[in-house]
Amino acid sequence: MTSLKNFASNRVSKSIWALLAILIGLFIITVLLDPYFLSIPSIGTTLLLAAPLGLLAAGQTICMLTGGIDLSIAMIATGAAFIVSVKSADGLVEGLIWAFLYCVLIGSINGLAVGLFGMNPLIMTLGMNAVLIGVFAVGVTTFLQGSSTMPDILISASSDIFLFDPITWPLVIWIVIGGLFLFMLTKTGLGRLVYAIGDNAQAARLAGVKVWQVQWATYVICALLGGVAGILLGGQSGAVAISLANSFLLPSVAAVVIGGTSIMGGMGSYTGTIMGTLILTVLSYLLATVNSSEAVKQMIYGAIVLVLAWTYARISRNS
Amino acid sequence: MTFTQWRRQSWNIAIIVLAIGLGLWRINQLPQFGAYEARTFILGILPIALLSMGQALIIIGGGINLAIGAEAVLINVLSAKFMEGTDFKTSVILAIVFLLLGTGVGALTGWIISTSGIADIVVTLATSFLLVGVAMFVMPQPGGGINQSLANLIAGNDSNFLPPLVWLILPIVLIWIPLYRSRLGVAMYAIGSNKDAAFLSGVNVNLTRVELYAIGGLFAALSGIVTTGVTLSSSPFANISNTATLNSVAGAVLGGVSLAGGVGGLVGPVIASLVLFFIPTILLGFGIDPSYSQIVTGALTIIVVLLGGILRRRTGKIK
Repeated sequence: MTSLKNFASNRVSKSIWALLAILIGLFIITVLLDPYFLSIPSIGTTLLLAAPLGLLAAGQTICMLTGGIDLSIAMIATGAAFIVSVKSADGLVEGLIWAFLYCVLIGSINGLAVGLFGMNPLIMTLGMNAVLIGVFAVGVTTFLQGSSTMPDILISASSDIFLFDPITWPLVIWIVIGGLFLFMLTKTGLGRLVYAIGDNAQAARLAGVKVWQVQWATYVICALLGGVAGILLGGQSGAVAISLANSFLLPSVAAVVIGGTSIMGGMGSYTGTIMGTLILTVLSYLLATVNSSEAVKQMIYGAIVLVLAWTYARISRNS
Repeated sequence: MTFTQWRRQSWNIAIIVLAIGLGLWRINQLPQFGAYEARTFILGILPIALLSMGQALIIIGGGINLAIGAEAVLINVLSAKFMEGTDFKTSVILAIVFLLLGTGVGALTGWIISTSGIADIVVTLATSFLLVGVAMFVMPQPGGGINQSLANLIAGNDSNFLPPLVWLILPIVLIWIPLYRSRLGVAMYAIGSNKDAAFLSGVNVNLTRVELYAIGGLFAALSGIVTTGVTLSSSPFANISNTATLNSVAGAVLGGVSLAGGVGGLVGPVIASLVLFFIPTILLGFGIDPSYSQIVTGALTIIVVLLGGILRRRTGKIK
C-alpha cells in the first residue's frame, strides 16, 4: 500500500512547496502594501473567511479525484443555509437535520445519476444547479416561507472567536472536518477507492470495486461539505439570500486546480487544496487592499487561476 | 430516405415534433398569431440559438466551452458601448471588428487549451471570469445603444420577421454547410470521436481545435451583437453569462449533440433552442412563476442526456 501512497502523493508533494512559496510571496506583498494584515485580528478574519471556501473546495476535491466535478455545490450550500434559517423556527436541531437530509438527497441524486446511469457529471450538476435555483426561487414564496435570518447560535458559530484570537469557530470547524476528510482520503479504504476509480474506473470495476457506490458516496460527501460551508456562509452574512454562495463556485474549483488536483481524476491531494484556498483568500484580501473594482477583481482572479494551472501543468509534465 | 436514414435522423425528428407541438400550444395560448408574433418567437430564440450552434461545434470536436456566454456578454457590452450614437456605416464596420474580435478570443481560448494541456473545463471557467471582468470594466452599468437602422437590419421591426429569420438561417448556410463538407468538418468529427486515432491518421488535432474554438467565438460574437440589436442595450452581469452558457449546452445536447464528442450537427441545436424558448413562455402564459421554467429546463436537460446515454448504450455505441 505504500506504493499507492507514493504514486498519489509523490508528484504532488513537490508542488506543495511551490504553492507554499507562492502563498508566502503573496503574504509578504500584502503585508508590504498593508502592514495591518500582519496583525492577529486580521489573520483571524482571513482564516475565518477561508473556512467556508476550504470546505467547499474539499467537496470539489473528492469529486475531481474521481474524475467528476460538482457545479451544483454552490446552490447546495445556499439551499442548506436557507433550510436552516427557515426551519430552525421549530428548533435548531430540527433545522440542521432538515438541511443535512437535503444535502444527502441532492448528493444522492447527483451521485446515482453519475454512478448508475453514466451521466456526464458536468451536465448533471449544471442541470441540478438550474433546478435548485428554480426550486429555491419558488420555495421562498411557498414551502420555505419565513424568516431568512440565521439563528443566533449559528451566527456566533460562524464568526466568533474560539478561546483566543486568531482561532475562530469556523477555523476550528474547518480543521476538524478537514482533518477527518484528509484522514478519509489518505488512510481509509474509501479514499483509496476514490483515487482508484479516478485513475481508471474500468480497471477498478474489473478489480471488483462497485464503482457506482463509490461515486454515490463521493457526491453525498461533497454535498454534506457544501452544506456545512453554506451554513457557515449564512451565519457570516447573518441572513440568507439566493445568491449566497454563488460567488464561491469558481473559487471552489480554482482552489482545487491551483492545489494540483487533476480534473481528470486520480491525482492530487487535499493538502494542495488547502494551499489553494489560502492563496485565493490572501489574494482576495490583496485585491481588496489595492481597492480594485469588482471588474478588476474578476479579471485578476481568472488570470491567476489560468496562470497557476498552466504553471502546475508544466511542472507535473516535466517531472 | 431509407429506413436506416430515418433511424439516424430519429433524434432530430423527435425534437422537431416536440418543437412543433409546443409551438402550436403557444400559438393557441395567444389571442392572435401573425407576423408580429412570429417575429417575437424568432427574436426570442436568436441569441441562444447562435450560442448553441457555437457550443455544438466545440462539443462535436470533443471539447466544451464554459466561457461562451461570457464571450457573448463581452461582445454585447463592447458593441453597445461603441455603437451608441454612431451612423450606419460606422456601426457596420464596428460590428465586423467585433465579430473578428470574438473569433480571436475564441481562437486564443483554443490555443491556450491546446498548448497548456489544462482541461478545457478549467481553462474556460477561468476565461469566463476574465471575460465577464473585462465586460464589467468596459461598462459597469447596463446601457449603451446601437444605430437604429442596423438594429432594424438585425431584429426587423413591427411585423417584419425576415431579418431575424435570415440571421438564423444565414450562419447555417454560410458557415455550417461549407464547414461540414470541408476538410475541417471531417477533422472535427474525427477528433471528437477519437483524438488519438485522428492524430495517427494525420489530423492536426491542435490546429483543428483552435479553429473550432475560433468559429465558436464567431458564433458567440454574433449572438452578442444580435443581443445588442434586439435589446438596444447591454447587460454586463455574470449571471447572464452563466445562464447563457447553461442554455447553450442544453440546446446543443437537446439538439442531438453527444457530450462524448463526434456526434451531431448544427440544425438540431437551433430547433432545440425553440423548445427551450417555448417551455418558459408557455408556463408564463399560464401565469405560473417563471422560476418553474428554470426547474423544467434544468430537469429536461438532465433527462435528455440520461435518455440519450441509455439509448446509445442500447444501440451498442458505448461512449
